[in-house]
Parts: sequence; C-alpha cells; structure tokens
Amino acid sequence: MGLEIENVGVRFGSFEALRSVNLTVDDGAFVTLLGPSGCGKTTLLNVIAGFLKPTSGTVRMDGMDISDTRPEARDTAMCFQSYALFPHLSVRENVAFGPRQKKVPKNEIVQRVSKLLDQMGLDIHAEKLPNALSGGQQQRVALARALAVAPGIVLFDEPLSNLDAKLRDQVRTEIRALQREVGFTAVYVTHDQAEALAMSDEVFLLNKGVVEQSGAPREIYFRPRTSFVADFIGAANLHVGKIKDGAMATPFGPLGVRGADALNKTVCWRPEVVRLGGDLQGAVTASAFQGGHLDLFVSAGDQTVRLQVPGSHEFDVGDEVSFGLDPENVVVLADEGHVDA
Amino acid sequence: MKRRHISTILAIAVSFALFFWLAIPFAMAVMWSMVDPGHPWSYPDILPPKLSFERWRVVWETTSLPTAMLNSYTLAPVAGICTLLLAAPTAYAFGREEFRGKAIAQVVILIPLVLPGFVTAVFFASLLLSLGIFEKYPAVLLGHIVLYMPYAVRILSVSFSQVQDDVVNAARDLGASPFEVFRAAYFPVLKPGIFAAFLIVFVLSIEEFAIAFIVGVPDFTTIPTILFSYLGFEFVRTNAAVVALILVVPNVILMLVLERLLQSANPASVSGKG
Repeated sequence: MGLEIENVGVRFGSFEALRSVNLTVDDGAFVTLLGPSGCGKTTLLNVIAGFLKPTSGTVRMDGMDISDTRPEARDTAMCFQSYALFPHLSVRENVAFGPRQKKVPKNEIVQRVSKLLDQMGLDIHAEKLPNALSGGQQQRVALARALAVAPGIVLFDEPLSNLDAKLRDQVRTEIRALQREVGFTAVYVTHDQAEALAMSDEVFLLNKGVVEQSGAPREIYFRPRTSFVADFIGAANLHVGKIKDGAMATPFGPLGVRGADALNKTVCWRPEVVRLGGDLQGAVTASAFQGGHLDLFVSAGDQTVRLQVPGSHEFDVGDEVSFGLDPENVVVLADEGHVDA
Repeated sequence: MKRRHISTILAIAVSFALFFWLAIPFAMAVMWSMVDPGHPWSYPDILPPKLSFERWRVVWETTSLPTAMLNSYTLAPVAGICTLLLAAPTAYAFGREEFRGKAIAQVVILIPLVLPGFVTAVFFASLLLSLGIFEKYPAVLLGHIVLYMPYAVRILSVSFSQVQDDVVNAARDLGASPFEVFRAAYFPVLKPGIFAAFLIVFVLSIEEFAIAFIVGVPDFTTIPTILFSYLGFEFVRTNAAVVALILVVPNVILMLVLERLLQSANPASVSGKG
C-alpha cells in the first residue's frame, strides 16, 4: 500500500515538531525515517498511525485522504518501542487481538495466528504471558500481533532499541526477510544510521522537523547534500573554502573537486574512498587497527581528516603520509556548512 | 539467606500484631454477644459462664435491626458503585491529562477528608432540606458519595496514570472499539484500584454514623445508628457486641471475594521492556 505525506506540519504550542514534511512511499517498499532524537521522526510515525492529528497537511494511503481517519480505521499496524503487549493476555491472545477486533471469522483467526506463531518461532510460547518472555521474544510477539491484521503498512518505532547488539542484528535481518516474504510496506523509525543503511530501500533523513535528504542508502551515504547529512551518516571529512579551476586549497594540498568556481563552499569525502599515494599530505596523529582496515587520523595545519586504509598497512604516530582522492568521490555540499575538526 | 531470615521474622511479627489487633477483639465480641442474660460475665471469670443466643434474639426482636440491615447492606454497595462511577472522570483527568490548575484541583478534592464527619453532616442535612430532598435513603446515599469521593478519586487517578499510552494506542491501532480499548488496555491496570476503592467506600459507608444519624433522624436506621444507641447513656455491651458482629459480616465476605478476584487476576502492570 502506497503512502503520501504532503506538507504535513505538527505544532505543540509554540514548538514546531514537524515543518512541512513531504514524502512518498511506494507500495511494498521498506523505508526508514532516520534522524537524531527530537528531529520529529516519531511524531511523523504517530501522524501516519493516526495517534496524532497534524496541524496542517494531508496523509494519503493509496491515494485516499486519511488525514481525518481514526487509527482504528486505518490500514496500519504499529510495532512499538516498548512492545506495548497486553500483559494480561497470552501470546496467542495478543496476536489474535487484532483480527478479533476486525471481525475476521473465528477459524481463520485460529489459522492465521498459528501460522504467524510458527513463522516467528513462538509456537512453544503461545500460552505464556508476555512477562515470561525475553525482550527478543516480546519483540517478535509485537511484530506477529501487528502482522496478524494483515496491514497495508507496518510502522516500526525503534523496535530494536531495547535489544542487545547481537540480537538486534538478528531481528533486523528477520524483519527485512519477513517484509520481503509477506510484502507489506514498512515505515521504520530509527536513530541508528547503520540500521537505516542496512535495511532500507529508501532513507528519509529528518532534521529539525523537515526532510533534509531522501534517497537510496548508497546515495545518502556517498552523495550527501548538506553537511548535516554528511556528518550524521558515517564518518565524513569536510573542507570549507574557495573552489577555483576544479580544485580547493586545503592544508593537505590542492583537493581535486568537480564543481563550478565558487567562493565559499563545503566539500565532503568519506574516509574509505581514499587511496594511498597522491598529492595530498599530512602527519599521522593517531591510528587504530580495526582488523580488516586501519583508521588513520592525519593532520595538516589546523585540520584533521580521517582515512580508512587496508589493514595490511602500518603507520606510526608522526609518520608523513601522502594520499589521493578521485575528484568523483569529493562531494560539493549545498549548504555553507561548518567544519568541526 | 539473610534476607529470607528477616522476612520470616517480619511475617511472624505481623501475624502476632494481626492476632492481637483483630482476632482477640473479634473473639471478645463473639463471646460478649453470647453471654446469657441470666449469667452475667464478670471478673474474675475468664470465659462467660454460660453461652446462649438470647442476646441475638432480643436485639433482633426489639430493635429495627432487620430494616437497618437492609438499609446498610444495600447502601454500602450502591454507594461504592456510584462513587466509583462519579469519581472515574475526575480520576481520568488527574491521571491522564495535563491541565492548568491540576495541582490545586488535586488538593481541593481532598477537602471533604479534612472536615469532621459531624460538621459535614449537620450542614449537609440543612442543605438537603433547602434542596427539597426529603427522602432519607437517597439523602444518606448522596452524603456517603460526597464524603468518600476523595478516596475513590485518589486511588483511581493513580491507577489511571499507570495505564501506558502505548498499550492504549496499540489497542486502537489494531482496530479496537472504545469499549474494547477499555477492556484490553485500561481495565486490567485499573482493576486493583477499582477493587481497593470499592472496598474502602463499602467499609466506610457501612460503619458511617454521623450522616446516617443526623440526616436520617428519626425514622431512618442503619446498623451503626442502632450500635451507637447501645453505646450512649444506656451502655449495653452485650447487645452492642451483637450489632457490631452483624456490622462486620459483609466486610469480611467482601474482603474474601475481592482477595480471590485479585489473586486470579493476571499481572496487569508490566514494564514492557525485557
């Protein structure tokens, strides 16, 4: 089921949680709403679910305006961060809750619930109360409960944030596999950029109540439009300066840039696009061996950049290192930006 | 191990305290109520010399106890239910909404608890007269509701605040009607509070004297008004014991029933995080 958000704004008193958000989600797509806390991503999810009425704008599902539709009548199902299971109902009753409300015939409910419980590996826990389950199992019950109503769109509100790292990876893969298998449209809220990059067809990066940039994970990562995006996702090296004749002067040397001449521009490149040997030069201030690769912090003048080189190389602090970049990999950002380093 | 030790000692101490405070007076009441009129129980006898149900018969036949029982036993549950129903909206607002003046409102609602029952009763009686409410039963009922509303509001607002927004939203999200949302998300969390508030109002109402006496005078009797009649100038301990026991019976039954209901209740409050 497709989803369109048009100029949606949400205001709490004088605080604008969302300022004119626009986004389109295709049927069957897995999209993430990514952003730092307070960026409005959960607010947007609550608007889609119908828990929150937007101050302005429209929400459409499959072309139908549902801005005034109550949550119980929307074809969405939410997976809550707190799981929000009914503590007095068994796992089976929790999963059966939705279809029962929607007046699905009894024998079909039984079938549907059993199938979901099997699929999630919850069949042996079916008669237990949620309290008796681990966090990962409760998370699965919450997902099964949401899927039991066969929703057009499943909304995930940071569903993995209460799980430990290993389990998080596992459940993340499970969710994605299940989404492909069942074919529901998923809107997934997270503040974890790795999660967003790994799971999504499309990432919407929110900042201060607006969509700062949207696109495929690779596009967001390698082609950030603003310094906020570059900074928020992964590690980025930023330089501010004047672009002239396809180069920007930096303390490391002239940096080749594909861009028109301009006075005050920010450019950005990722640590892993660097190659050793080239016309840029600096001194190693720190190095961290990561197994497969080596993180190098290289300084020149008052700036430090981060390089990622194969783990087979060895550098000591103080070593001079020369490196080069393909101008193709240096992105000129749209805003004036800032350099923290 | 040490912790278990301490809890064992505590359990024994509490059992002793309960025994002295509850069991002994109760046993005394039972014995006093069964003292035979022909064989008074006096020092140095440790137990009554002869037991009989003569006192019970006398009280039953010479007072309006049957009517009083009917009044008290119906007044208490009706007051309990009405108080709960009337307290619920206020408690919901206190527990789940933010509004200006909430802190003050929460204090103001407790004022009836501060006033002595007799003060309330005297002015309540004249208020009822000027309102034109002459029917005694609803008048006393109304008095009890007003008097015990603060307890119910207080207890229920705590319960309401424990209901998790996420669980309410989850129920709505899955298509539940308002009634089903209440059943799935609210009721399991509210249940202990509802029972507790009902129990308190019930017990307080059944033993309430001031309003029942002042508003109900002269023709409306409840069990406590009969009880107090034996405790005035003409002090009759034996008859008072009979009435006191009759007074306590529904309380005990209600306690046992609620206890059973709460035990069978599933764990209602849960963190949700694992």
